[in-house]
Amino acid sequence: MATIRIQGLVKRYGQVTAVDGLSFEVRAGTVTGFLGPNGAGKTTTLRMLLGLVTPDAGTATINGYPYLELPEPLHQVGAVLEAASFHPGRTARAHLRIQALAAEADESRIEDVLDLVGLSGAARRRIGGFSLGMRQRLGLATALLADPEVLILDEPANGLDPEGIRWLRGLLREFAAEGGTVLVSSHMLAEVAQTIDSVVIISHGRLVAQGPVTEFTAKGDDLEDVFFQLTQEAVR
Amino acid sequence: MTALALPSGPVVRPNALPRLVRIELVKLTSIRLGYGLLAVSVGLTLLWTILQASQAGKANGPEPLSGYAGQTSIITGGVWGLIFAAVLGVTISSGEFRHHTATLTYLATPSRSRVLAAKAVAGAISGAVFGLAVYIVTLAVGLSFVAGHGYRLAIGAGTLTDWGFGHLVGAALLGVIGVVVGSLVRSQFATVIGVFVWTILIESLIGGLFGSVRPYLPYTAATALAGTPLGSANFGPSRGVVGVSALPFAGAAALLLAIAVAGALIAFRTTIRRDVT
Repeated sequence: MATIRIQGLVKRYGQVTAVDGLSFEVRAGTVTGFLGPNGAGKTTTLRMLLGLVTPDAGTATINGYPYLELPEPLHQVGAVLEAASFHPGRTARAHLRIQALAAEADESRIEDVLDLVGLSGAARRRIGGFSLGMRQRLGLATALLADPEVLILDEPANGLDPEGIRWLRGLLREFAAEGGTVLVSSHMLAEVAQTIDSVVIISHGRLVAQGPVTEFTAKGDDLEDVFFQLTQEAVR
Repeated sequence: MTALALPSGPVVRPNALPRLVRIELVKLTSIRLGYGLLAVSVGLTLLWTILQASQAGKANGPEPLSGYAGQTSIITGGVWGLIFAAVLGVTISSGEFRHHTATLTYLATPSRSRVLAAKAVAGAISGAVFGLAVYIVTLAVGLSFVAGHGYRLAIGAGTLTDWGFGHLVGAALLGVIGVVVGSLVRSQFATVIGVFVWTILIESLIGGLFGSVRPYLPYTAATALAGTPLGSANFGPSRGVVGVSALPFAGAAALLLAIAVAGALIAFRTTIRRDVT
């Protein structure tokens, strides 16, 4: 059953069509890679899915409802959209306390998620002094705070070191194994290739291909080669 | 997965607003900015009030402290608290865009009108704290100078209480207006500069050129709530006012509230609905 459903989504910025009639589905309990070159429309699509950007046409639903209509959105969806969306003068713990209040989550979850992402030792530090990798980890802690069913991550591996990327893979696989649904965008296929079950490839705001990873690699092709071939064909 | 029948539009639970206000207050108290602005406004008020009190009765200074007018001009002079309450209000709303935290705020609370309402209440509460703090300073300095010179206090306790309440209400309403302005203009730097330019320069110019409109200018109306004589809270050559009276308390409060509501409606129709990219 589809947890996330995008149907005929369109977004224009002036003369530029960022997302052009995009449709795809993400099944429950899977990790789906949302892939495309820079400027393909991935971030705009995710922001429309999360109610932050209003589409010019089409619908985007999670569990059958637009994000704006979810009664307890943070308990259903955890999202990491940008590594810089924290007040630099706030400590990591204070940031998570605010998010816990917003989600009406138990404050005991703060220590749990700090521990989970490896930031317990930095909880009292101001976020302005965090590295990009630490901000990504804090973003993941924020997303996981209310124990959501769905994770939507935009380029979560940016700034993570190799160990961090490995840790992220494990986290996403474990989340899906427990029945959670993950949609993770990336323009760097190598970072997500070992993690994802399914793939949605877009280029210039349009769907290029969608399906289980095994379909694309059935003939022994490397997923990265398939990705470049498909996106370059779309450009032509 | 939810199986509830849901209405269209953002879902808001009945107790949402008090919780959202609490969130905004925790946001405010978890960073240094609010404390810094409060310290600066108290410090400036202290300095300004001492300077004014020491100049009382001298050429180009306030009226002598021996009389009602002189004592009034010192004790109702907490204007920096009003101005900084507006500045804090601006940062409450525009700070979300400066630091890109609006994304997380709207993910947690998709109802943007509720977020604006909660910020306005937080702006009012924090503004009230600013107003009260600077009034305590002006009252302490004023009473100290009056006592130090051996003068009799010409102002009754009831009037002093009213002015304290007025400082609180005036700063609270300017805090709300600051929130609204900050949601209309997302550039925090431009808006903060705009608050100072408006209160210090533009109202003085407009008030000086068109005396009849002066009582209806927002900063001047807020100072009227605080009990400040019309014109004495302005800066520059337009301090003197002839033939124009300050708005009564209810009128000034209603004017500021109307400005805040009108601004909030415009913000909700325009900037609040914009895409968060």
